[in-house]
Amino acid sequence: MAAIPNDVFFATITELNACLVAREFSAEELVRAFSARLEQLGPRYNALALPLPQYARRQAVAAGNDIKIGRLRGPLQAIPYGVKDLLSVANQLTTWGAKPYAGQVFDYNATVVERLNGAGAVLTGKLSMVELAGGGGYRLASASLFGPGLNPWDVTRWSGGSSSGSAAAVAAGLVTFAIGSETSGSIVTPASFCGVTALRPTYGLVSRHGAMALSWTLDKLGPFAHSAEDCGHILQVIAGKDGKDPGSAGKSFYFTPQYARPMKDLKVGYAPVDFADRAEPPARAAFQAAVAALRETGVQLVETKLPQYPYGPTLSAILAAEEASIFEPLIVSGKVNELADPSQIAGLKAAMDLPARDYLKAMRLRRLIQQAFTKLFAEVDALVTAGRSGPAPKVDQPLDGGPARGGAAPAPVALAPAAPADPGFAGIIQAGNLAGLPALVLPCGFADNLPVALQLVGAPFAENTLLAVGKEFQSRTDWHRRRPAGV
Amino acid sequence: MKFTRRDFAAVLAPTVALAQTPAAPQANPPRPPSPPSGGDAEVDAARARMKANGDTLAKQAVPMDIEPAFQFKA
Repeated sequence: MAAIPNDVFFATITELNACLVAREFSAEELVRAFSARLEQLGPRYNALALPLPQYARRQAVAAGNDIKIGRLRGPLQAIPYGVKDLLSVANQLTTWGAKPYAGQVFDYNATVVERLNGAGAVLTGKLSMVELAGGGGYRLASASLFGPGLNPWDVTRWSGGSSSGSAAAVAAGLVTFAIGSETSGSIVTPASFCGVTALRPTYGLVSRHGAMALSWTLDKLGPFAHSAEDCGHILQVIAGKDGKDPGSAGKSFYFTPQYARPMKDLKVGYAPVDFADRAEPPARAAFQAAVAALRETGVQLVETKLPQYPYGPTLSAILAAEEASIFEPLIVSGKVNELADPSQIAGLKAAMDLPARDYLKAMRLRRLIQQAFTKLFAEVDALVTAGRSGPAPKVDQPLDGGPARGGAAPAPVALAPAAPADPGFAGIIQAGNLAGLPALVLPCGFADNLPVALQLVGAPFAENTLLAVGKEFQSRTDWHRRRPAGV
Repeated sequence: MKFTRRDFAAVLAPTVALAQTPAAPQANPPRPPSPPSGGDAEVDAARARMKANGDTLAKQAVPMDIEPAFQFKA
């Protein structure tokens, strides 16, 4: 392992694609190296759910043959990737990270897997996750069939959830990119804690066909990668209309940062308190330097206030109602008791009793929240705040106070010791998910030697704006290129 | 970046093709603070949180013509 330059494992899609086309190495050689690394180092972080070396080898041979004859399929061709273990891959185990489903096998591929196959990307393995994507609300990092997600920057810290393995595998250079999911925080949180660039797409832009359902009206799939540009390339492949997903928006996505408006014409809303009193003290300097770097891109930073709604209770009611219906057979059969986390078990059981009026009220409030954000995005092009307000917590401590819902929704893991009077953008994760808004996570520095990140949130289907700002930010900083020691 | 075939040979030499079985968990993962139970007290606590959420929602005034966001679209 020492003989190979580690750069290859941390190279971007664009860089690897250039090497493949120039025949500096073959698709098969690249994929074999990544497969070996994933199997060797994945268990170190409890990041690996299922290695797929034979599957990957077949795909690599096909991709390599295409490259040899000049049949180029785009930047993802022959690039090794992993998927969160809630996505079905035909005839392979799909456990949803939960013991009751440990032997589950589907006979079809998820739509995102099909689309990535079509682009010539190579699936090297399935990646670990919090059980049932944290649906019932979990209190412990160990809430997973695969054990607690360990952070490549410090294995005594949590990698975040619920897309734990997706974030950790990219951070440790075990795959070039990964697909994860978010219902409320499950992409933003692990990407922030692991120092990885990630994109939560607009609701409906990426098909969820073949993905475990947790909440029909909240679930989204999105990429983890080494740069904003990589996220754009991946999104272009996985986005698009799919009749097999009733929530599909019927839209495609073309990554065109070159046509983005000039930075100086973009207004980005922010709340200064997010980077001061609302941030954990060790992270404040990093956040403030990151805001200064963002300002240097030329965007106009304008102080903004979020519409005030009870985002947490609204999201919790919607999630509880939908997950109770989805997992009713698990709960009623008693198999729910096989889950690892007592708070998850209790949360799912309790969700069966949610009154219909609470769900309906929450769904009506959701309309008002959407309307409020439509007005807000008439004033600004994007919002910026912290991904999480501090670095990853210790893995052996409860993620308290209170269970995290829907994959590490902002339980007070990330709250500063005393919440300030000005709420800033508190609740942005729930608000963004309720309104179906896209978010881009950008690593932006370190606190206590652990990564912290910004998140940019945009109007529905404004991914190109977010990616253009992210690309500009990353052309001026190198936080996204840092890598953990010892990998 | 320049990676040679020799570089790759170095990393691939010790590789053994493994069956596509689930990865073994880490040998000594950190222990959780408490065993799973999800017992009556925890379910009651979860119901109490849900009730508190419902009370918060009940206080929100929503005009009659605002319909639920079924068939949610962003």
